[in-house]
Amino acid sequence: MTDKLVSKVLILDDGGDASLAIKQFCDESNLVGLKVRKNRLMAVLKSNIDLGAILYSENYGHTPDENADIVLRIHAIRPELPIILRRENDATLDGVNESVRRTFCAAYTLADMSGLKKVIDEYIFSLVYPNALVRGISEITDNILTNQFKQLAVQWDTPYIVRDRVIFGEVFSLIPIESSWCRGYMMLQTEEDAILSILNSHTTFPTSNFRDVNSLLGEITNLIWGGFKNRFIADATAIAANQIQVPLIVNHKHKYISFGTENPQLCFFYTLSDAATGKTVKLYQRFVFNLNWSPEDFKEIVQDTNELMATGELELF
Amino acid sequence: MAKILIVDDSSTVRDEVAGFLKDNGLDVATAVDGKDGLAKVKADPGLKLVISDVNMPNMDGLTMVEKIRGELKNTTINVIMLTTEGSPSMKERGKAAGIKGWIVKPFNGPAVLESLKKLVA
Repeated sequence: MTDKLVSKVLILDDGGDASLAIKQFCDESNLVGLKVRKNRLMAVLKSNIDLGAILYSENYGHTPDENADIVLRIHAIRPELPIILRRENDATLDGVNESVRRTFCAAYTLADMSGLKKVIDEYIFSLVYPNALVRGISEITDNILTNQFKQLAVQWDTPYIVRDRVIFGEVFSLIPIESSWCRGYMMLQTEEDAILSILNSHTTFPTSNFRDVNSLLGEITNLIWGGFKNRFIADATAIAANQIQVPLIVNHKHKYISFGTENPQLCFFYTLSDAATGKTVKLYQRFVFNLNWSPEDFKEIVQDTNELMATGELELF
Repeated sequence: MAKILIVDDSSTVRDEVAGFLKDNGLDVATAVDGKDGLAKVKADPGLKLVISDVNMPNMDGLTMVEKIRGELKNTTINVIMLTTEGSPSMKERGKAAGIKGWIVKPFNGPAVLESLKKLVA
């Protein structure tokens, strides 16, 4: 695996020369460029697609009116996503129609892609996530999922950064992450039917219902938090007595959750597959450090291997 | 009469641990949090062993152990913590409260079965 984080960007740009330059830029900037047919654009934006930003050409619509209409609808559906405007000659938003100007966060030109790099760094890769943290989270979670679902194969994608706030599936768990160097939440999102299907094909849980899904997701969340603490938080008593909290907003209608910050989120995606039945479960894991993020104080705990007890073993006193 | 009490707010863990122990011939009861566990220890003098989570709503596992030893003055029942917690400071608090052992989740039944049987013998 790679420790390098990536992020998906939606490219709404039909220019031939631009496509090549943007593709090269994405390859060099840890971005995964996605394209979508114009007639599918709004449907895709309403679906669960983890995005960091949108690269939008000022010529994407056939007319200025159509261009304005499209970008306003994008902004209405995904207001949290930075939309970066590609212009022919001017790397500023000067002269952009006032009705749509507020929907763009910045502009760039093909002649100077360094401007786009600055915007990407500012809006997507603005928080520094230590490699040991990213790798550790993947390893902890993979280990726990493998233990919990012994009959399933666990795969995970390259960790990535998102700015959207859309909730995947029907069920999610939240647990506060508290340490002296970070404060926020871990969130697991999944689909109820997919887990139920797996549980019901497993002899231990032949008649599972949604409460079993809730309990299982809760326990997985608990186990991951425990692993996180044991690996990244030396002493729980050292947690600063900082009790600042902000309200979380969940909008069920729009499957949207806000943590009161515009910060990008650290995201992991796991797929659990049952080779016997072909069934799969998708699990999204997001870390939102909305209350404190001080990576300069981050430290991975290296324990004396002689003192380590394997999980599940009994240590008698 | 039950010999082992499983205390965990997660029904997934309760089902998993209780199912394994029952399949291996042990008598098992369950409680959903420390408060419930404390009440069941008080009500059943035949209990020989408590296997408890630490982080639970209403009453945490270590507080439950402190009350079993203090309020109930039950110093004979064995208590083992089954938890995601693994920090030395947490274990020290457990030792001070009078627990017998510590298991870091996830539960590995076959690895601990013989030890558990000895504790309820």
